[in-house]
Amino acid sequence: MAGMTFSEKMLKIDRRIIFLMIGLCTLLPLLYPVGLPIKISSEVRGVYDHIESLPEQSVFLLSIDFDPASKPELYPQAIALLRHAFRKHLRVVTMTLWVSGTGMADQLVTQVAKEMGKEYGTDYAFLGWSPGGQAVIINMGQDLYSAFPSDYSGKSTKGLPVLDGVRSLKDVGYMVSLGAGRPGVEEWYVFGKDKYKFELGGGCTGVMAPGLYPLLRSGQINGLIGGLRGAAEYENLIGQKGKAVAGMDAQSATHLAIIALVIMCNLFYFSLRQQRG
Amino acid sequence: MTALPFESIIGAWVATGLTLLIFSFLYKDNPLFKLAEHLYVGVSVGYVIVKTYDTVIIHLVVKPIVENGEIALLIPVAIGMLMLTRYVPKAAWMSRYAFAFIVGMGAGLAIPRTVSSFILKQVEDTIRPLLSMAGSEGVTFSMNLLNPASHLNAIIILLGVSSVLFYFFFSIEHSGVGKAVARTGILFLMISFGAGFGYTVMARMSLLIGRLTDLIEFSDASYGRPTVWLSLLTVGALFLLARRSREQPPDIH
Repeated sequence: MAGMTFSEKMLKIDRRIIFLMIGLCTLLPLLYPVGLPIKISSEVRGVYDHIESLPEQSVFLLSIDFDPASKPELYPQAIALLRHAFRKHLRVVTMTLWVSGTGMADQLVTQVAKEMGKEYGTDYAFLGWSPGGQAVIINMGQDLYSAFPSDYSGKSTKGLPVLDGVRSLKDVGYMVSLGAGRPGVEEWYVFGKDKYKFELGGGCTGVMAPGLYPLLRSGQINGLIGGLRGAAEYENLIGQKGKAVAGMDAQSATHLAIIALVIMCNLFYFSLRQQRG
Repeated sequence: MTALPFESIIGAWVATGLTLLIFSFLYKDNPLFKLAEHLYVGVSVGYVIVKTYDTVIIHLVVKPIVENGEIALLIPVAIGMLMLTRYVPKAAWMSRYAFAFIVGMGAGLAIPRTVSSFILKQVEDTIRPLLSMAGSEGVTFSMNLLNPASHLNAIIILLGVSSVLFYFFFSIEHSGVGKAVARTGILFLMISFGAGFGYTVMARMSLLIGRLTDLIEFSDASYGRPTVWLSLLTVGALFLLARRSREQPPDIH
């Protein structure tokens, strides 16, 4: 390092120092939250308003299309959506297209239903996983009971009171897919809504959000909850702050740190280039 | 304070331990990280195999055939079994029928729906806002950049779509006016990549926040403070591993 200019030293800094800095920027706001304001975006409000507009006992289908790898972003979204749907006394039907997320989805639905005092079979159901991805969506559009002859616990779906009057996706009041990849929101639009004409909203990881904005703008989906930020907005809308809101200060702090790092790296890079002529 | 169930406490210790082992990679690659990585892969694959076997083989094939006599299910089962002939070189050709069925069905289902959803609908949405400028009260034009449905934004989107498409059109040399259009396309692509990168950073930070939130929760006395004890253990193990590697430098031959 001897003989190196300051810019050179900074550009060759041990990356572990950067990891430590980002770690601290995340940890400190989690330990000592400031409570920065969270502005509600129109895309998150789209999902909220549609659920608000549904009459009691409407069927709300939630497809939990993610696995534990995307839990920090999508789990808070699912909790907020389920709390909202249960509070509105909707009939909540849940399922997953991701086999690796089956156990987590069951735990999630059971936990929120218990918290809201809902009864399995009457107020909600978890259909589990069925193989085929997009084929499952098409199958549900024709006959829901053929795609899911039994629920996650092995009970026949035909006798479940929560599914009274529901034959296919056409009988669903509102459907939201919380997707971390494929199959996810896009498949629910392409093979579900576009063909069977039901109202669709989406939730996704931050990585996927820019790719779904064209669907939102064209009205192909009526709302989009993007990443932890979207979950925090939804928690604010339902007035029940949870893990997403708690994480927003940390998110803002890390974003500021990364912006500062990007600016500093560029400054050092250009100053080094100038020094070398 | 009610005591936590035993499985929650065990779960907290396992989750904390594995999180710290994975985080140890941030210091440097080490056997602790590899252990956690291999455990993750093994457990994930094992879980998927068991769930798939239980749902597909038991609940969707065996039970309906044995209990309900749905013999027609033997047809997809037979087509699926043809896949396994790939392991017998002399009979491997039979697997092509299964693949042909899957590819044919998949393409047949996907092509029309994808064209309709991602091309026709998107083209329609790019053009429609422009048509709405000419209403019953004459030509109107909204300039609000913050409103995604404004006419100004519709024109920006149309410009973006056209210039990016032109940038990927290689049959004409990008010179003169063409060069300006292609450069505009690059500008739109850069903005798109920037937005994508920004969201990716947000997503990755969210994952870190998720893990740290759990570590903070598991530092509570009700769990037995696994975060504290296992952090000390991990740091100690990394220290010992570093000392051992200094004493026994790796054989580079």
